Amino acid sequence: MRRIALAAAAALMLSACGSGGGSAGQELSKDPVTIRFTWWGADERHKRTQQVIDLFQKKHPNITVKGEFKDWNGYWESLATTVAANDAPDVIQMDELYLSSYAERGALLDLGTAAKHLKTADFDKSALDTGIVKGKQYALPVGLATYSIVANTGLLDQLKIKLPDDNTWTWDDLKKVGDQVSKAGGGKITGVQSFGFDAGSMNIWARQHGAALFDEAGKVAVPADVLAGYWAYIRDLAKSGVAPAPSVTIERAGGSLDQSGTATNASAFGTWWNTQLPSLAAASGSKLKLLKLPGESQASTPAAYFKPSMYWSISSRSKHPAEAALFVDFLANSQEAADVMLTDRGVPANRKTRAAITPKLGETDKAAAEYLDAVKVGTAPRVTPNGASAIEAIIKRHTEEVLFDRQTPEQAAASFIKELQAEIDGA
Amino acid sequence: MSALGELQRMRRGSGGTLGGKKENKAAFAFLAPWFVGLLLITAGPIAASLILGFTDYNLIQPPVFNGLDNWTRMLGDERLHHALGVTLVYVVVSVPLQLICALGLALLLDRGLRGLAFYRSAFYLPSLLGSSVAIAVLWKQIFGADGLFNQVLGVFGIEGKGWISDPDSALGTLIVLNVWTFGAPMVIFLAGLRQIPAMYYEAAATDGAGKWTQFRSITIPLLSPIVFFNLVLQVIHAFQSFTQAFVVSGGSGGPSDSTLFYTLYLYQRGFGNFDMGYASALAWLLLVIIGGFTVVNFWAAKFWVVYDD
Amino acid sequence: MTDLRKAAKHAALILLALVMLYPVLWMVVSSLRPNNEIFRRPGLILDSLQTQNYGEGWTALASPFGHYLANSAILVLACIIGNLVSCSMAAYAFARLEFTGKRLWFAIMLGTIMLPIHVIIVPQYILFSQLDWVNTFLPLVVPKFLATDAFFVFLMVQFIRGLPRELDEAARIDGCGHARIFVRIILPLMLPALATTVIFTFIWTWNDFFSQLIYLTDPEMYTVPVALRSFVDATVSTSWGSMFAMSVVSLLPVFLAFLVGQRYLIRGIATTGGK
Repeated sequence: MRRIALAAAAALMLSACGSGGGSAGQELSKDPVTIRFTWWGADERHKRTQQVIDLFQKKHPNITVKGEFKDWNGYWESLATTVAANDAPDVIQMDELYLSSYAERGALLDLGTAAKHLKTADFDKSALDTGIVKGKQYALPVGLATYSIVANTGLLDQLKIKLPDDNTWTWDDLKKVGDQVSKAGGGKITGVQSFGFDAGSMNIWARQHGAALFDEAGKVAVPADVLAGYWAYIRDLAKSGVAPAPSVTIERAGGSLDQSGTATNASAFGTWWNTQLPSLAAASGSKLKLLKLPGESQASTPAAYFKPSMYWSISSRSKHPAEAALFVDFLANSQEAADVMLTDRGVPANRKTRAAITPKLGETDKAAAEYLDAVKVGTAPRVTPNGASAIEAIIKRHTEEVLFDRQTPEQAAASFIKELQAEIDGA
Repeated sequence: MSALGELQRMRRGSGGTLGGKKENKAAFAFLAPWFVGLLLITAGPIAASLILGFTDYNLIQPPVFNGLDNWTRMLGDERLHHALGVTLVYVVVSVPLQLICALGLALLLDRGLRGLAFYRSAFYLPSLLGSSVAIAVLWKQIFGADGLFNQVLGVFGIEGKGWISDPDSALGTLIVLNVWTFGAPMVIFLAGLRQIPAMYYEAAATDGAGKWTQFRSITIPLLSPIVFFNLVLQVIHAFQSFTQAFVVSGGSGGPSDSTLFYTLYLYQRGFGNFDMGYASALAWLLLVIIGGFTVVNFWAAKFWVVYDD
Repeated sequence: MTDLRKAAKHAALILLALVMLYPVLWMVVSSLRPNNEIFRRPGLILDSLQTQNYGEGWTALASPFGHYLANSAILVLACIIGNLVSCSMAAYAFARLEFTGKRLWFAIMLGTIMLPIHVIIVPQYILFSQLDWVNTFLPLVVPKFLATDAFFVFLMVQFIRGLPRELDEAARIDGCGHARIFVRIILPLMLPALATTVIFTFIWTWNDFFSQLIYLTDPEMYTVPVALRSFVDATVSTSWGSMFAMSVVSLLPVFLAFLVGQRYLIRGIATTGGK
């Protein structure tokens, strides 16, 4: 038994220490090469991605790309397990929440070493910066999104309520117009779909108050009173009937996009990433409009920012880093790939392909892309630090505590900061 | 950690007329596949998880020994204590409820009713769905804000809420979900009932024993090994309950940690927070807890489980 | 029993069945609705019958859905055979034979199912990847042939112990070896337990998501539960209609398997019969 245990432990250590693939600057192989490529998503994305893979393989007949698609939760279980066993896929779709956790622990390849095969000239520096961890480019942003308010103008027209001017509005204005909707909606419809379940809303709130969720060193930097204000506002929405009752709010937040208040025409205003507009519009069947965030005109610098919808990254233990880099180059830069993918992974971060596909987009996709160009943004917040990958779960839990009166906003703020900092320190 | 009473009886029983002679050769031949599996497949990973329980292991970098850190950390881990409480409530409430429903329906559907095959299949169908990805959505159709339950309440003029997403009732809906899938133990009860020789009932009937007496003096004792089996296994399963809470709460154990089952917390630590060393230690604590409950179950079995041998 | 009581019993059972089956019915109804109506209209009323979800769902992923059904079927079949053979053998030893360390081995066997899979999966994956078994059915099937499902061993032990001992002892006195007693006497008598094992292995394997997700990386190898989840993405629009349609399609074989399998539960021991 003991020997087995030792052997098992040894195998663990060995596989974890597996040698890196080295630099991606090496020459491409002329022999047949197989690389693995993994992503999360739903069936529409799986289909489009397979088409892109086929295009790439036609161009490079000696490279076979094996696609592995998963749902979001399964994706992270599977990725962690394969990385632990030194069996990670070569090309990895990465999320902002997990980027540092993987990069700082050495699981990702420094794309700077791949410059020979992977060009980044068509990306704005501000976009590229979002993929930098500890000074190295570990990830290349795929698409960009920005936080916004989605207003159901169809619903507002029906209730004969005027759309507020989003160039000047404040959070108070949102509450006021939401209140009108709730009153006119007769119980079934509420003005605002509550938020407080994602990092986007918290980032915006902090930045409008001149703070940031994290400082450059990766410590929690948001003052407790700012956070308390955030939760006080959310609680206020629920108590005043502007947002649905807490259990309804949480039920909708826990479901998929299609089950949300916006998608089912049960709430007139909701916070969303602008790129979710087409999905929401299709689900609701109503007329939806992207509005700028409240409070932006009062803030000293724009709180809105570009968040990468996802990234491309390469495993540091890839046996074929050059071919993997070539494939990422195709995904990120080629017009053919962009024409197939369109906005499925967000509005492309690549300036050139974004401009080229915009005329080809449908109405709501176009609206999302135009919104991105129109909105004023500040510099992007620091990448979620190593250890904080569960931040959204922590935010959600504290919002629930506040909504159900189990904690005051002040208690929630203190508890949130303490817990998040402990996770970061523990990593 | 041996299952004392049970095994003593096992040993005594198999002595039989042949007089306690060891049959090692035959036994190990029959057990050969299991031994091979234990040695080559099961033992290694289990041992590895025990070792990892004494390390700091983030899945990406090699594990680093940290002595008893994981274990002392458990003492001050409030979410862990909370998760233990939630799990205990779940085990203590849902296991008996589910077994009673399963046994009751199994007795009802045992024999002498038209359309048995249909009823059995209908009651079993939910068990097939119990862990599928669709269950999150389906359960909302019953206990969601617009669900069936609230519609029924509405008839009586009672205003409902989102039962799944209210911390006071969320655990209750998961318990109902578990009871809803009573089809699995029901099938085992049905199989057990089938093994009771019909001649016992015939003899009892000739002696003039009524239905209730027959149930008490034949069905219950002869079915007791199967009841025992279901009890032991359902307790083990309930402690490890994961999928339903995971799917229904979207992996969070929410709202407000009200459905944070032990394994869900362990999973969050291991995969969500890259804290696999601590998760491994948690797993071994769970093993000790389940083992304790199982030993108690086996011990208590002495007083109510009847074996033919 | 009077006719009235019988009717009341049926009425109660039917009502209970309806309540229990409501979510299933809702799923079937939803699979026949256009995608964007599923969450906007509650209830079971269908105003038109739309079967396009079935067509779309069937072809939505990399391979036609039949491919995943076939993969699951192969996997399930192999697991059933493995569990039937290996677990019944181990159970016979624990229930009927006397050997050194029996209590300890039994406790170890039960102990192996008390650890949550989430901490076992990583070391196990490393083991199987060293053997080069990842992305084959082997990590999912081979353990079944090695009686690692202690649930079924324990189940069969309990059933064998319920069998009258006189039967196999008579055979033993007649000079039958253990192999013969096992095959000729015990196995036929424990048909209900074997049927239970088949039903359960079928359903658990058919529904098991976690290990199949981890070990089957190539979409060519995906099984039904893995395929079903790839319809769902909480952040974009999910093709719920397709997902429900394919759930219904994948539920059908399991339901039929149960309908057939439960006959063997009824049959029981031939000599004791049932009414």
